[in-house]
Amino acid sequence: MSKLIIEPILIHLDDNKTKMSFIWRKKLYQVEDILSWWREPAEWWDGESVKYFLRVNARNSSVGTYELSKDDKNWFLYRVLD
Amino acid sequence: MGFAHLHVHSEYSFLDGASSLDRLLERASELNMPSIAVTDHNCLTGAIRFYDKARAMGIKPIIGAEVTIEGGYHVTLLCKNTKGYSNLCQLITHAHLCNRNRESFASKEALRQYSEGLICLSGCGQGELPALFKQGNIEKTRGVVRFYKEIFGDDFFVELVRYPSRDGVIGSHRLADFAKEEGLPIVATNNVHYTDMEDYRIKELLNAIDRNIPVSSLSGNRTVEQYLKSEEEMKRLFRDFPEAVVMTEEIASRCNLELELGKPRFPRFDLPDRENDYSYLTKLALAGVSRKYGSITCRIRQRLEHELDTIRKLGFCGYFLVVWDIVRWAKERGIRCQARGSAVDSLVVYALDISNVDPVAYNLLFERFMHPLRKEPPDIDLDVDRRRRGEVRDYIYAKYGTENVACVGTINTYMARGAIRDVGKALQMPQPIIEEACSGIHWLSASKLMEKADTLPELKHSTIYRSAELAEFFKLCVAIDGLPKHLSVHLGGLLIGSGRLSELVPLEWSSGGDIISQYDKDDIERLGIVKLDLLSLPTLTVVGDTIANIKKSWQLDIDMESIPRVDPKAFAMLRDGKAIGTFQLESPAQREMAGRLLPDRFEDIIVSISLVRPGPLKSSMDKIYLPRRHGKEPVTYVHPRLRYALEETLGVILYQEQVLKVAHDLAGMSYAEADGFRRAMTHDRTPEEMEKMRHGFISSCLKKGVNQKTADRVFEQLAAFAAYGFCKAHAVAYAELAYQTLWLKCHYPAEFFAAVLSNQPMGYYPARVLVADARRCGVKVLPVDINKSEADYTVENGAIRVSLRQLKGMSEEALESILKARDTGDFTSLTDFVLRTNISRNIVENLINVGALETFGSREDLFAQLDNLLSLKRKMGKFTKPLFGLVEHRPDITGKGDVKVKMLLERELLSLALSAHPLDFISLDSSFTSMKDLPSVATGRTIKIAGSVIRYQTPPTRNGNRVVYVIMEDGTGIADVTVFSDVQERCGQVLFREGWLEVTGKIQRRGPRALSVIAEELAPLNRNEKPGL
Repeated sequence: MSKLIIEPILIHLDDNKTKMSFIWRKKLYQVEDILSWWREPAEWWDGESVKYFLRVNARNSSVGTYELSKDDKNWFLYRVLD
Repeated sequence: MGFAHLHVHSEYSFLDGASSLDRLLERASELNMPSIAVTDHNCLTGAIRFYDKARAMGIKPIIGAEVTIEGGYHVTLLCKNTKGYSNLCQLITHAHLCNRNRESFASKEALRQYSEGLICLSGCGQGELPALFKQGNIEKTRGVVRFYKEIFGDDFFVELVRYPSRDGVIGSHRLADFAKEEGLPIVATNNVHYTDMEDYRIKELLNAIDRNIPVSSLSGNRTVEQYLKSEEEMKRLFRDFPEAVVMTEEIASRCNLELELGKPRFPRFDLPDRENDYSYLTKLALAGVSRKYGSITCRIRQRLEHELDTIRKLGFCGYFLVVWDIVRWAKERGIRCQARGSAVDSLVVYALDISNVDPVAYNLLFERFMHPLRKEPPDIDLDVDRRRRGEVRDYIYAKYGTENVACVGTINTYMARGAIRDVGKALQMPQPIIEEACSGIHWLSASKLMEKADTLPELKHSTIYRSAELAEFFKLCVAIDGLPKHLSVHLGGLLIGSGRLSELVPLEWSSGGDIISQYDKDDIERLGIVKLDLLSLPTLTVVGDTIANIKKSWQLDIDMESIPRVDPKAFAMLRDGKAIGTFQLESPAQREMAGRLLPDRFEDIIVSISLVRPGPLKSSMDKIYLPRRHGKEPVTYVHPRLRYALEETLGVILYQEQVLKVAHDLAGMSYAEADGFRRAMTHDRTPEEMEKMRHGFISSCLKKGVNQKTADRVFEQLAAFAAYGFCKAHAVAYAELAYQTLWLKCHYPAEFFAAVLSNQPMGYYPARVLVADARRCGVKVLPVDINKSEADYTVENGAIRVSLRQLKGMSEEALESILKARDTGDFTSLTDFVLRTNISRNIVENLINVGALETFGSREDLFAQLDNLLSLKRKMGKFTKPLFGLVEHRPDITGKGDVKVKMLLERELLSLALSAHPLDFISLDSSFTSMKDLPSVATGRTIKIAGSVIRYQTPPTRNGNRVVYVIMEDGTGIADVTVFSDVQERCGQVLFREGWLEVTGKIQRRGPRALSVIAEELAPLNRNEKPGL
C-alpha cells in the first residue's frame, strides 16, 4: 500500500555528502538507506523536465519507506509506502 | 574489464534514432570506449560511413542491425566477419523485398539460411525470447532457445536491457536466472537510441512524426534511459551480473569484420569466343576510330594505344564494354544517349560512340578522366532521352539479371520547411503559425534559418522566429535538422553487381516500386561497385521530337551531326538574348553573358557554359577574359611555355584540363601527377598541405628553368582556380547540345517550341513564358481544339496547337478515350463527343471552358446542353466503366464569354494566357515601360515596369552579400531585375511573397547587349487591379 503525497520538502546533505535528510511537514527525516533510484520522462512538450526519484528508508520516530522526487529545481515527497 | 555498447541505434534507424553517427562516435571516444556497434532497424544505411569514421577515430566498429523476424520480434545481429556481413545484407534484403508495401520482416527460415558469421543477441523487450518469457510461457520460451541455439550455437546470447523504474529491474533478474538455468550466456546492452539523456525528447518527437500522431499521444513504455551510458554507469547498473558486462568485450573481440573497400568490382561482360576484354575493347576502339577519322594518324594511334594501355592496366576494360553495350543497344533503337562529364575527355569513349565529342579536335586530356595514379573506378555518366530511359534501364536489368542490378538509394534529410511542418504537427501547433514559419523560407536548413532570421530581409520582418513562446519549438526543429527522414531513389544511379548485389549491398523497395540500395552513392563508391549514372535529359527528347516535327512539317531529315557549326543567324539570336527554351543558354545569367561575350563561334558557347558558374563569377574571371576576347586588353602569358595550355582561352585558366597542362608544361609533371595535383588543390586542405604543394610545384618549376617569381605567380593562379574549375570535356558535350537547340529554335521555331512545350516540365521557364516567347519568334499559338489538338503540342501550318494534355485534370485514360474515338471520325457536336467518349463531367466542363468545343456552340449553350446529355448517356447505359479523370478541378470563375473571362479560364485550366495577358486588363499609366521596349532605353535611366515573377535566383557573390535576380514578364517580353541588399532590406517583405510586382529601377548594361534593371523600389502590383490573381 502506498499514499501519493507530492508535497515540497527541504533536502539536506552533510558536508561529505554521505548523509541525507529531509524536512517534511516540519519534521526531520534521516535517510538511512537508498533502496533504489530511477528517472521518468516528463511531458516535455508542456515544459516539464525529467523527474528523478529516490526510494529511501528514512527515520523520524520510526523507520518508513518514502519516495522522493526532484524536477529541475525542487524536491518533493512523492509517496509514502507502508 | 571494459564495456562495449552492442545495441545502438543511429540516425539511420530513420525516425527512431536521435543521434548522428558523428555524435555517437564523439561520445564513445570521450568515454574511451575501444569498440561500439551500430544496429539500426532492418537497415545498414550508416554502416560504411560508421566503419570508416570509427576506424579513423581509433574505435573498433562492429557492424550489425536489429532485424525484425516473423511475429514482429526483434533480434540483434552483429557481423563477426565478411561472411556475416554478406549474410546480414542478404537477410535484410530478404526482409524488405519479400514484404512490399508492408512492415519488413525476415522469416525464421531466412534467419537460419543467413546465420553464418553472425552473432545473435536475443533482443530488447520485443525479442521473441524475452517477450515469451515475460508472458510466462516457459515451455514455448525453451523451444525458442532451442531454435536459436541450433542456428547460432555459442554465438547466441541472452540480451539484458535494464531501465531502472519504480518497479525496479526485476524482469531482467528473472531473465538472467532463466538464462543461467538454460546454460545461456548473458550480455548487457542499453538499446541506445540517443547519445545524451536529454535527447529522449528528440527520439519521442521522431517517433510521433513516424506514427503521424501528436507527441502527447505516444503510448508504451516511455523512458529516458536509452542514452550512451558510460562504462561505469553500465557496471553500476549490472553490478549484480558483472559477467553480462564482461561478455560485451568478449563479443566485441569475436567481431573482426574487415571490409574490402575501394577495390573495384566490375560486372562480367559476355565476350565473343577467343576474345578477352582487352582484345575486344581494342578491336571495337580501332574500328570506331577508323570510322570516325577515316585514316588513323600517328597521333591518334598513339593516343588510342596510350588510353587502351591505361584502361587495361587499371583493369577497367570490362567496364568500358558494359557501357559501350548499353549505348550501342540504345542507339540501335533510336534512343538518344550520350556521355557527359570527364568521360568525354577519352578517345576510347568517343571511338565507342559513347560520346559525340572528338577529344582530339577539342584538345581534351584523357588524364583528367583516368590515369594510373587514380585508383577509383572511372565514372561514365550517360544522359538519356527522358521518355525512353525506362527502356534502357529495362535492358540493363534483362542483360545482367534482376538480382545483379538495383537503383542507387539516396538519403532524404530534414531541411527547415520539413522540420517546421513535422515538428509543428507533432506538437499540435496551430496551422497558421506553421504556415507563417514556413513562408519566405527557400532552400535553408533549420539551423541556418535561425541563424539568418535576423538578417535575411524576407524573414527579419517576421517576429515569429524571435518569439520567446516559440523558442523551444524552433530548438526542436534545429535538433532534427539534417536527420535522415527516408530513403528514396537517386535520380539516375544504377548499380550493376559482379554477382548477386544483395551479397554486398542491402536492398529495399522505394515508395515508387524500385529496388534501391540502402547505401547512397558515396558508400557505393567506397564499396567499389560499378555505378552507372543513367540520367534523364529532356533536352535529348526535345531534339528528337523537333526532328520528328520537322520531318512531318517539311519532309526533311535533319542530321544534327552535320548542321553548320557557325550559323550567323543562330549566333545573332544568342547575342540578342533570345535563347529562352534552349539548353544551358536560357538562364538570365547566360543570356546576360551572351550580351557581354557576343558569341560568334562554337568555342564561345563552351566558354560561356564554363564562365557562368558561381566560382568563375565569384573570382571575376569574366572581367579578365571578356576584355581580351573583345581585343580591349592584350593577351599575355605569365610564361611563354603557358601559351600551349592557355592559348585557346586567351591566357586565362578556365578549364580543369588546363591546370594539368600548366603543371605539365611548367613544372614538368606527368599528366597523371598533374591531375593528382589538381585534385589535391580542389579538395579542402590545411595551410600546411597547401604549403607543401606550393613548395613541390615551385621547386619543380625552378628545376625546369622557371624563375621563382613566375612560379609563385602561376601557383597563385592555380590555387585560385581550384575553387571554380570546370571540366572542359563536360562543357563541350553540353555546348554541342546547347548549340543544337539554338540552331533548331532559330531555323524551326514552331517545331522546336512544340517539342519543348510537349516535354514540360523542363528547363528554366514555365509553359506560359515559352508560349509568349514562341509568339515573339513569330510563331502563332492555336488554342485547344477537340478535333485538332493531339496528346502533345503539334505544328499546324507553321503554328503550334496547344495539346490536350495541357488541360488541368486531363488523365491519360481520358486522353486515350478521346483520341481513340476520334480515330473513327471527328466529333460533330457536343452530343457526339459526350456519347463517343468515356470521360468525366469535370473534364468535359474544362474542355468547354477553354474553348476546345467552341465550334459546336458558345460556352453558355454547351453548358446548357450538358446536364441533359449526361443524363441521356446514363440512361443509355454508356457509363459502363468508372468515370475517368477523377482529379476534380473546377475553376471558380464566372461571367459571360468575354475575353477577360476566357483569359482567366485559360490561365486557370491551361496555365497559359492565349486570348490575352492579365496585364491587358490593368490600366498602367504612361510612366510604365513595357519590357519589349527596354532595349531602346538609355543606360542609367530610371524606369518603371510591372509584371509577374517567373523565377528568383540568388547566386553566390564575391563579397558574400546576397544579390537576388528576379525574372519577370509582362506579355511583351522578359526583364531581368537585380535586387541588391539595400533594396532587399527595404522591400524584403514584398520580394519573395508577391507573384506580381511593380519595379522602379535603373537600366544597366554590363556589355553591349547585356541589359538588366537595377531595382530601387519594389511594390506589389495593385491587388484590386490584378485580374483573378
